[in-house]
Amino acid sequence: MIDSPRLRLRLPAPIRVALISLVFGLVITLPVLLFVYHQTDSLFEQRIHDRLDDAEHSALDAYSASGPAAMASSMQQIIRTGQLRGGVALLVDPRGHKIAGNLSGWPPVLPTPSQWNEFRLYPEGQVRAELFAIRTIALPGGERLLLGTTIDERERMRAALVEALLGALLLAVPLGLIGGWVVLKVAERRARAIGNVATRIAGGDFSHRLDEDRGAEEFGMLAAAINAMLERIEELVEQLRLVTDSLAHDLRSPLTRMRANIERAAGADADRQQQAIEAVSLDIDRMLRLISATLEISSTEAGVGKQHFENFDLAGLLRDICEIYNPLAEERGMEMAIDAPPKLAYTGNRQSIGRAVANLADNAVKYGGGSIELGAADKGEFIDLWVADRGPGISPDLHEHALGKYRRLEESRTTEGSGLGLALARAVARLHGGEIELQDNAPGLRVVLRLRRDAGNLSLL
Amino acid sequence: MTKKILVVEDDATTADYVAKGFEQNGYVVDVAGDGRDGLFHATDGHYAAIVLDRMLPGMDGLAVLGAVRAAGIDTPIIVLSALGSTDERVKGLKSGSDDYLAKPFAFSELLARVEALQRRGPSGAQPVVTNLRCGDLNMDLLARRVERAGARVDLQPREFRLLELLLRNKGQVVTRTMMLEEVWDYHFDPGTNVIDVHISRLRKKIEDGDRLPLLHTVRGVGYMLSETA
Repeated sequence: MIDSPRLRLRLPAPIRVALISLVFGLVITLPVLLFVYHQTDSLFEQRIHDRLDDAEHSALDAYSASGPAAMASSMQQIIRTGQLRGGVALLVDPRGHKIAGNLSGWPPVLPTPSQWNEFRLYPEGQVRAELFAIRTIALPGGERLLLGTTIDERERMRAALVEALLGALLLAVPLGLIGGWVVLKVAERRARAIGNVATRIAGGDFSHRLDEDRGAEEFGMLAAAINAMLERIEELVEQLRLVTDSLAHDLRSPLTRMRANIERAAGADADRQQQAIEAVSLDIDRMLRLISATLEISSTEAGVGKQHFENFDLAGLLRDICEIYNPLAEERGMEMAIDAPPKLAYTGNRQSIGRAVANLADNAVKYGGGSIELGAADKGEFIDLWVADRGPGISPDLHEHALGKYRRLEESRTTEGSGLGLALARAVARLHGGEIELQDNAPGLRVVLRLRRDAGNLSLL
Repeated sequence: MTKKILVVEDDATTADYVAKGFEQNGYVVDVAGDGRDGLFHATDGHYAAIVLDRMLPGMDGLAVLGAVRAAGIDTPIIVLSALGSTDERVKGLKSGSDDYLAKPFAFSELLARVEALQRRGPSGAQPVVTNLRCGDLNMDLLARRVERAGARVDLQPREFRLLELLLRNKGQVVTRTMMLEEVWDYHFDPGTNVIDVHISRLRKKIEDGDRLPLLHTVRGVGYMLSETA
């Protein structure tokens, strides 16, 4: 493996961040600086060429007009007027003797003709050698002409550019370090805030939340996501606690009854024993139903069942449930009707939705009265399924209470049931990204299962 | 010929309870305590049906199921599981089992299902039947017509399906959950006497007047269609 930790150089985090920002800075600015350098340089060079061209032209004009003598005087003028800007000029005859100019003699290594030579020379009357760009020209009469202009200017520009570049680099290192350090500190502070909340939660206190508004937007988003997760965890833990408590409570009473039945049966006559066995079986069945209903709710709440989403017709599902429960309703002097479009395509867990609606229909038959309506309506983002009855209903202040687990309202304690129907329906609605709502049907109860249309694409939150 | 049942179950009490139950109903029972042993038995003996626990030591129940099916053995298999959710059920059926029963269960439910599986035979090998009958009750599957002693009985489509299910399992108990599964394709325990109401309606239609009762209630378990009480 390349990623062996032993071989990796671990630099302190701020230095790493600084180095990375530095490298990025260089990669971006270096080409720009090089381009500027190259453009400036060629501009300067062009101007030097132009100056030499001008001097050459005027010298050659003078020569062709009236020969070397006129040219000599023209050269004096060039030097005097500074056409070559502190430049040099030299005219020699075919044997190499100086005719005119401000150089003492022809530099030995200089070829004729040539366009561009960079040469260090001492012009007459100056103490310091300067760098010149020199052009040499062969004249028709065998004379040779040397024209030169100083390029110190260009050299200074080059030096300045390189200096500026190096300076920028030198400045970038501490700036990068500082920038890296600042970024790191900010990130570290936010990370520490998250860490603190995590530690508190690990300690058992689930009420802490991150501040979502402070700091940069990305951290706000992270904090919001973490808070949503915490919300969900707290809810699940709370539910688990409730399940355990209520399950223990609800199992205790049948267990106590069973114990009493068995104790009484011991030593009693055969008839009595038979009765006790039947009573105990009944209690066991009740407990088994309670346990499987609880497990079903818990797994639904935990999001199990997302894998088995399928396409099906919600209206068809309502017709199925109505068909299953209608005879029971009729037997109790009620009637069941459907208020839904003929077809309502949906993607979800057909089994659990079927079970939830069946639970609601079952409740309506048991506790409701009059006519029962199973309905469905497309509300755009959501699809509403409802079961409404004309029975005594549940008073609004008891609605939330009724949705909890094991909540059979006191009035209905005598009727058989696990008291988990509404809790399961709520879990199923949430599995499909929705909610359950109890409404006053004036009179009666109307339970609405609100299912998100695109529940299949939802991640569980 | 006595029928043999293989019970693969690691919990000794449950295995004993199930084995005793089958023996009382005239079966010969082999019990395997873990998945490996179960697979060995399944590939060896010829069983009428296999009762397979979902969670086993050594080799997981679904793995055993896969291995048995991969070996080309099409003995009907019913999976028992403490994982009762509908999703687990789908997983079990997808892995090649013929039925799925959540623990805890009543033995009568298991027996009814195992007997229904045997009647159905290996999956896919169901013979084509066009006519089902029980005494003087006759069901023509092609014409979708039901007659009792030559007189036509009018049934709703679901009542027809319900009767068909009972006829296909003639002489054997069909439980309420089996009915909900087969007729409506929902897998939950209907709990209240929802199914009973449907049965009593069906009964009224096919036992109109003072005819011989055919549809019998098996107390605490379900219903059975039979000429003899």
